Order: sequence, then structure tokens, then C-alpha cells
Amino acid sequence: MKRLLLMVAVAVLAAGCESMPKVQPWEKGNLAKPEMAFDPDTLEARFADHTYFSKEGASGGAGVGGGGCGCN
Amino acid sequence: MIMDSSNKAPARGAVLAAALALPGLLPGTAQAQVTAPNATLVQFKYLYYKDYQESGDRMKVSSPALYLLTPLTDDWVFEIGAVYDSISGASPYYHTTLSGASGEGIKDGRTAADVTVTKYFANRTSVAVRAAYSTEDDYRSTAGGVTIRHATPDQNTTYTIGGGYSGDEVFPTVGTPTTNYKRTYDAIAGVSQVFTPNDTGQLNFYYAHQSGYLTDPYKAYWGIDNRPNKRDQFALLARWNHYFDSANATLRTSYRYYQDDWEVVANTLTAEWAQTLPDGWVLTPNLRYTTQSAAYFYYDPIYDPLLGAPFPPGYLSDPDGFYTSDQRLSAFGGITGGLKLSKTLNGGWIIDGKAEYYEQRADWRLGGEGSPGLETFKAQIYQVGVTRKF
Repeated sequence: MKRLLLMVAVAVLAAGCESMPKVQPWEKGNLAKPEMAFDPDTLEARFADHTYFSKEGASGGAGVGGGGCGCN
Repeated sequence: MIMDSSNKAPARGAVLAAALALPGLLPGTAQAQVTAPNATLVQFKYLYYKDYQESGDRMKVSSPALYLLTPLTDDWVFEIGAVYDSISGASPYYHTTLSGASGEGIKDGRTAADVTVTKYFANRTSVAVRAAYSTEDDYRSTAGGVTIRHATPDQNTTYTIGGGYSGDEVFPTVGTPTTNYKRTYDAIAGVSQVFTPNDTGQLNFYYAHQSGYLTDPYKAYWGIDNRPNKRDQFALLARWNHYFDSANATLRTSYRYYQDDWEVVANTLTAEWAQTLPDGWVLTPNLRYTTQSAAYFYYDPIYDPLLGAPFPPGYLSDPDGFYTSDQRLSAFGGITGGLKLSKTLNGGWIIDGKAEYYEQRADWRLGGEGSPGLETFKAQIYQVGVTRKF
């Protein structure tokens, strides 16, 4: 069931992307603002990962090859 | 005089696009593009957090960190990061029974560094190779990864794939001296999409396979902790950013679904509102909610009637079974609220500060009961930073 939902989500997203009007280069002024980045602050994102890794059971999703820590 | 403005916009747009294509004029890289950055960035940040409960303080961590990103040529970019974590305080032996209650607790230092080299190709593709190393009194990690990004010709869609490896050694400072090994392979596949001039989204699939020594050696020594020697983790991360023209503000949101074969299922939502203010100030309040189920081998703080704490009921009949009393693997909900303030100064300097409060409670779990008998877990998290772009 979860897999089916995932596949539907991906299909909808892909179909949505196809039918979207293209955003032109000169329309990307707002998109280029630093605040519009997914991780606008590198060290802040790393601190968040580290902090929650030491307190919760779930982790990952944004990148690979991060390396482990004892973090007791 | 009446001006006919029809068909003027594309012409003006084309001129602007041509102007933006000149080096140095583009204010930054728009999201979902794969374009080499053309500015150097140096960042220093200091993180401090303390974990505590009603019955006493737990860990305190203070971490100065440094990050540098610099273009070596037009198509090679170099990044280096370094952090020193100073860890002190009390860690629970089991459940909420703290190690520091009768002694001075734990002290550890962790030094970590990482290097990333990225090559940008003319066909809107980049290949990033990363290496990371960290060392502690009782832990050593050597990790690396490769991430490939490719953007479509209109630079509105970017695909990402990546793979990583981490080889870790655990050599606890209690009990018989021994070195245990742990390996992690992870992989990511994702897509970022520009939807409108004010909307961008991202969807990442993440998978990690851990094997080897995954037990907490201290909880195993002072309490009861024995975990499977394998863990498969899956995460789906969806992010959406929207820019509000009228408010001159950005809303950043994310949702992560996580599950692993230890039966931990977690749902995490975050929202940040970056409000641009006059004179280079940006005020960003943030909220985060997470809810998770317990690992199947987590046991509640109800102990064996004969053996007492920390032994789980029925321990004698299965002393080699899987057990943990780690709060991180219990069922709970957690809420974070915070505020960040940053100011851009003349000469490419940015200073910022952020304060957050975190609380974790069994009865904040959604979709099921939380684990009973644990004290509310709290943390205060502070960070200050200075960034220079040139």
C-alpha cells in the first residue's frame, strides 16, 4: 500500500512537471534569493542533523556519506 | 501618448536574461539549477546545547565549526568543513537513570573534518566527491560519498543521485578493551523542480544499510543493551519553498517519512518563515514536530520481578535477546520552536544568532501510544555565526 502511494505521488509529480508552464530565466529573481535554497545555511543544517541524531531514532534524507558519531 | 505595451515583456525579459548571463551579475544560483558558484564563502558557527530532565541535567555539547566554499577555477569548486565537539555531562545508563548521578559523568571530545571537490560540466551536470573523517575517545569514522546532479536545459528540473560509505570503529572505554566495527552504505535519489517564479520543491528518496556493532556499548555495560547487527533505513524527504512577494518573505517547509527494520516509523514536519526586514535584517521563526514509534526491542521501565532494574521481564529465559532502554528508540512526539536573527553588513559580512527549545514527551506521539514511564526530555539549543562572502 505504501509503495502504491509512493508510485502515485511520483507519477502525479512527474505529470505535474510536464504540464507546468516553464519558468523563464528572467523570472528567477526570487528563486535566486539565498532564503529560497533548501539548505540556505550549511553549518546550521549540519548542526540540526547532529542535534536530532543525538535525541531521536530517525535520521537521513538530505545527503550521503556523512559519517557516524558516538553521540551518546 | 498611448504606449502599446503588448509584446514588450518578452523583449525586456530577453535583455535581462542576456544581462544576467554575464558573469557576476546573477545574484545567486536559482534553485534546481546546476551552475558553479562564483563566490567564496567562509563561515564560522558556534553551537551549544544542553539536554535536561526534571531529575537532572544530561549532556552538554559545545561545538565550534568552520566551513569554506571556494571556486578553484570556473568549473571546480572546493569545500572544507571542520568541527570540534566538546561533550560533557550525564548519559542515561538505562531509561532515565543518569550516569552522572553519583559521579562526574562523561567527558568526550570529537574532532571531525570533511572535504568536498565538485566538478561542473558544460551539460549542466556536476559530480561531487566527499571524504569525511572524525575521531573521538571511543569512536572513529571514515566516510565518503559521490553525488551527481544534472539539470534539464531550462534549468527548471534537477535530478540527484548519490552513494556513500562510512566505516566506523567503536572502542568503548569500559570493560575489556576491544574494537567493534560498523559499516553504513547509503544512497539517495531525488528531483528538484521549479514550479513558478515563487515556488520550488524537492523530493528525495534515501536508503541506508548499516551492519556490524550497532549496540550502545555503555548502555550494554551499565544496563541492558543488545541490538541487531543490521539496520535498514528508508526515508522520503519532501521540501517546498514559497516566496511571498507581498510580505517579502520565504516559507520553507519539509516533510520526512522514515521507517527502518527495527520498526521505528517517524513522521517529521518543519516550517521556517524567513522574513526580510529593512537594513539587511532577516528574522526567521521555525517550528518542527516529529512523532515516532518504538523499536521492537525497546522495553519499558518495568523490570524483572526477581532481578530488578535494569533487567527486562523474562530476561533470564532469553539473556541473548535484543533489548534496549534507549529513549531515542522509544515512542514519543517532539516539538521544537525557535527564532533566528541575521543581519547582512557591508563588505559581504553576515552575522546571525539562533535560539531553540526542544521537548520530547510520550503523550505527544500521534497515531499510537507513547512509551510510558519516561521523564519529559528537554533541550535548549543556541548558535551564533559569522559568514563572509567575497
